[in-house]
Amino acid sequence: MYSAHYHLLLNHLPIIGTFIGLALFLVSLIANKDDLKQASLGLFSFIALLAIPAYMSGNAAQEFFREKPGVSMDLIQTHQGAALLALVFMEITGAFALIGLWEFSRAGKKSEASRPAGRIVAAVLLFSIVTSILMAIAGNTGGDIRHPEIIVGSEAPSSVGAAGAKVVPFVQYYVVEYSNWVWPILEDLHFVGLILILGAIGVLNLRIMGFFKQLPVAPLHRFIPWGIAGVFINVITGMLFFIGMPPFYADNPDFRWKMIAIVIAGTNLMLFYCTSAFRPLARLGPGDEAPLSAKFIAASSLFLWIAIVFLGRYIPSFEVYHH
Amino acid sequence: MSFFSIMKAVEESGLSVWIRDSPSLFAYWFILSFHALGMGMAVGASVVIDFRILGIARDLPLSPLKGLYRIIWAGFWLQVVTGILLLIAYPTKALTNPDFYIKLTLIGIALAVMKKIQWRVFNDSSLTEQAMMLKGKSLAVWSLVLWLGVVTAGRLLAYTFTYINYSG
Repeated sequence: MYSAHYHLLLNHLPIIGTFIGLALFLVSLIANKDDLKQASLGLFSFIALLAIPAYMSGNAAQEFFREKPGVSMDLIQTHQGAALLALVFMEITGAFALIGLWEFSRAGKKSEASRPAGRIVAAVLLFSIVTSILMAIAGNTGGDIRHPEIIVGSEAPSSVGAAGAKVVPFVQYYVVEYSNWVWPILEDLHFVGLILILGAIGVLNLRIMGFFKQLPVAPLHRFIPWGIAGVFINVITGMLFFIGMPPFYADNPDFRWKMIAIVIAGTNLMLFYCTSAFRPLARLGPGDEAPLSAKFIAASSLFLWIAIVFLGRYIPSFEVYHH
Repeated sequence: MSFFSIMKAVEESGLSVWIRDSPSLFAYWFILSFHALGMGMAVGASVVIDFRILGIARDLPLSPLKGLYRIIWAGFWLQVVTGILLLIAYPTKALTNPDFYIKLTLIGIALAVMKKIQWRVFNDSSLTEQAMMLKGKSLAVWSLVLWLGVVTAGRLLAYTFTYINYSG
């Protein structure tokens, strides 16, 4: 399988997923159904994770087309620009959606269930609408590359895509060329994100696994938004690294495994720690033992986040030994 | 023997050469990965304690959090062992960089602050939660600032060195 195949495999999911997510979210708001709200917020978070490899695999596809005649590089750049804007808004939507979803996982007072604050719901709605529009443009401009039959007349490439296409060299300039300090500061922030993830999510995982049993679970679960903040910081700084030096990452096997591990670890975080599935665990007080299935999920979460740290640290090794 | 000839001898030792140049999966990058994990353990657990002292997740009882010091110390010793191995691999690179000494100094102060939190906040069982938070407040802020400094100084080591090894 060529790298370019991954792009074909992944690129339709964020577009279709965002549309389905938005439709589901609108219905859930009108019908005021909590389960449906959770499903759409979960879908937005999952799509935000999948959009990362979908965007990155586009670079590999671009390299493939570089040597092929009859493919317009302008169209590819317009598509990349639209895709980047869609990705940025998707990540913001996903972060708000995950925080909103997390509210559903809390035990809540008495029998009353915990629900996300109105402003979080409003933020998800606003950003998901913008994301849907940008996803549609990304899809259209992507289709133009290999399907010239859908281009109407001498239609100019999308102005949104053209604007986004200017962002790519702009980011490259500021991340790589502008100053020798930008990259190290971003790396530093990437490590701060790592600490927030391991601190917030790691300690909760250890408690569920049976360590530090004197600690009640619900208040430890309050640290999860800090873990989500860590994930968000690292997705943003990680994207800046990738956009800054795509050839360094696009063909790197450790990097590819890292992206796969992030999608799995992020989905694990979303499904088990940010939905009402967590509520029975949130009731565990000091000394209480979690069920075996929960321990297994916690151990797998901890293992995945540590594996992500290791895979990240191995990324430069490929460059050293193979070039 | 001068300082520089010791550096040269360490750098030419079998262990140093193996960590630096071996294509084995368990050489340099493996040690570096554990160094990052040790950081995540020591600093991650410290941040949870500091955040709680500063009032985040108030429902979390403070005193059983002292169990997290086990993670902090395990992470710390992992850092010491992997740090020494990394130093053996690149003694000239680290020891000729002022940032390395800044990092060590910040680690020393951060550890002292951490011990002080353990001693003043957690080891006095007569304190109420309110009193523990009040006593630990400024120490917790210092702990966060110092660990951020340690991580930043450590991360910058990869970008601020002048010599990579003895021969230049």
